[in-house]
Amino acid sequence: MHIPENYLSPVTCGVMGAAMLPVWTHSIKKVAKEMPKEKMPLLGVGAAFSFLSMMFNVPLIGGTTGHAVGGTLIALLFGPEASCIAVSIALLIQAVLFGDGGILALGANCFNMAFVLPFVGFYMYKLLMKLMGANSQEKSSAHYISAAIASYMGINVAALCASIEFGLQPMLFKDAAGNALYCPYDLSISIPGMMIPHLFVAGLVEAAFTVAVFAFVRKTSPDLIFENWTTDSVVDKPKRHFPVYALLAALIAACPLGLLATGMANGWSLDVLIPDYAVSGIGEVAGYIISAILGVAILVIVFKLASLPMKRKAD
Amino acid sequence: MQEKLPEWLKHSEDYTPVKTGGAFIEKSIASIGGVMTKIKLQNGHEKGRSLPALLKLFLAFGLIAFLSLTHEKMWILGVVSVIQLYLCMWPARDIATILKASLWATLLAFLLFLPAMIMNPSGISNDLQVILKVFTSLEIVSIFNHTTQWNHITGALRKLHIPGVFIFTLDITVKYIILLGNLIVDLLTAMRLRAVGKNRKEYQSIGGVMGVTFIRSTEMSREMYDAMRCRGFTDDYKGL
Repeated sequence: MHIPENYLSPVTCGVMGAAMLPVWTHSIKKVAKEMPKEKMPLLGVGAAFSFLSMMFNVPLIGGTTGHAVGGTLIALLFGPEASCIAVSIALLIQAVLFGDGGILALGANCFNMAFVLPFVGFYMYKLLMKLMGANSQEKSSAHYISAAIASYMGINVAALCASIEFGLQPMLFKDAAGNALYCPYDLSISIPGMMIPHLFVAGLVEAAFTVAVFAFVRKTSPDLIFENWTTDSVVDKPKRHFPVYALLAALIAACPLGLLATGMANGWSLDVLIPDYAVSGIGEVAGYIISAILGVAILVIVFKLASLPMKRKAD
Repeated sequence: MQEKLPEWLKHSEDYTPVKTGGAFIEKSIASIGGVMTKIKLQNGHEKGRSLPALLKLFLAFGLIAFLSLTHEKMWILGVVSVIQLYLCMWPARDIATILKASLWATLLAFLLFLPAMIMNPSGISNDLQVILKVFTSLEIVSIFNHTTQWNHITGALRKLHIPGVFIFTLDITVKYIILLGNLIVDLLTAMRLRAVGKNRKEYQSIGGVMGVTFIRSTEMSREMYDAMRCRGFTDDYKGL
């Protein structure tokens, strides 16, 4: 569900980022106020846990595997506000360190996965537990069923939010000819496109992952689960390379000369890289320099990569 | 006295365990292991003699934002060519690392945009522009990561006067991804070594692995807090 860079317009990214500001502020304030000081390192550890849960493979039918986001699980274990911060940090690290999800799109990704997902999941769980009545509190099955439905709902509502963000792009951001500048699919395609896989596959993976981990923790250390945190139990229980460059420079500098020698060297890469170069109004000299730089750089990269297997043999 | 081999030991056994199952273990070990190596082996070239991290951070962010905002072909191609020019001066191995990551995402973007390009041919140039931007943005992020150590990134954030608690949490997160990642890999390896054939209790084993990791993580955070207290920490996260 990680939205990469340039699928959303910078404006949308800005709006989503702005929407996250009050959520982050609220979460930080709430965590600072309610989370015991000794639990503060848990936010970082929780973020690490959340990051790793997104890497963890869950078995699917037929020997295939899928990834869960684990947003609801983190909310059930750490509380919705702490999980909002933990998942946001995990998403930041994924964007900055791994290029998974855009940096500009971070606000939108956090909105879907660090805000909508855990909050919907957590409060859905609470609501279901309430609906089941007072005596269900004791029954483990009631907790597992609620956690399964809540996590399934959480990831699907989050996917719906992402699909709406995608779907709004072609409606709001078009060029003079009416063509989409970012994501080209409108709501009628983006919603089913996102929802079908989430309703039938990702949602089930998420629910299975959530229940499996939640059940284990409930059985072994129930007092570590957020809903069972009490100030007492928290406080009292401590158990717990130069020639090439010269050639390259010479080639680039020599390139505008191609302008004079028309029909010889000039069309070599321009037609391929900038197909409608003549129409788009790019200055001729600038166009030549750009394609020269690109052409040379790409060739150097290709040759270097081609030499890799030979080097390995030599090693 | 001569010991005789028991009768059952003389027969050669021909047991082929049922395949399937356990694939998720292998895949999880691979993906988590991959992530950890990437964090641990931040030894890309240029480390230590490159631009200050803060400047690089601004440059990378600025370029990505610029790419996203501009629709002028010349500017986009300008950024693309400068990035490729810079990249082509790198050793082949490093180029391969950067391109591998960026090309996968570009391929995915291409497949995603393919139906749109078929349905609406007039939008092809815009679609290709987005794909090119996706590729270049990822190259920028990968180059930034490859030339910057994590602690320099947090150092850069610190100079921006970002609250201490946030940087503290970021640092802990990266360290614990390694610590908890090792734990998960150990647990999964233990499971793989003991498992033969089909595992009927796959979901229970996921619960076990991630559950134990969660419990261990709360213990670790507690231990860390105690260690901080022992070194004179007074619950003042602002002064960190």
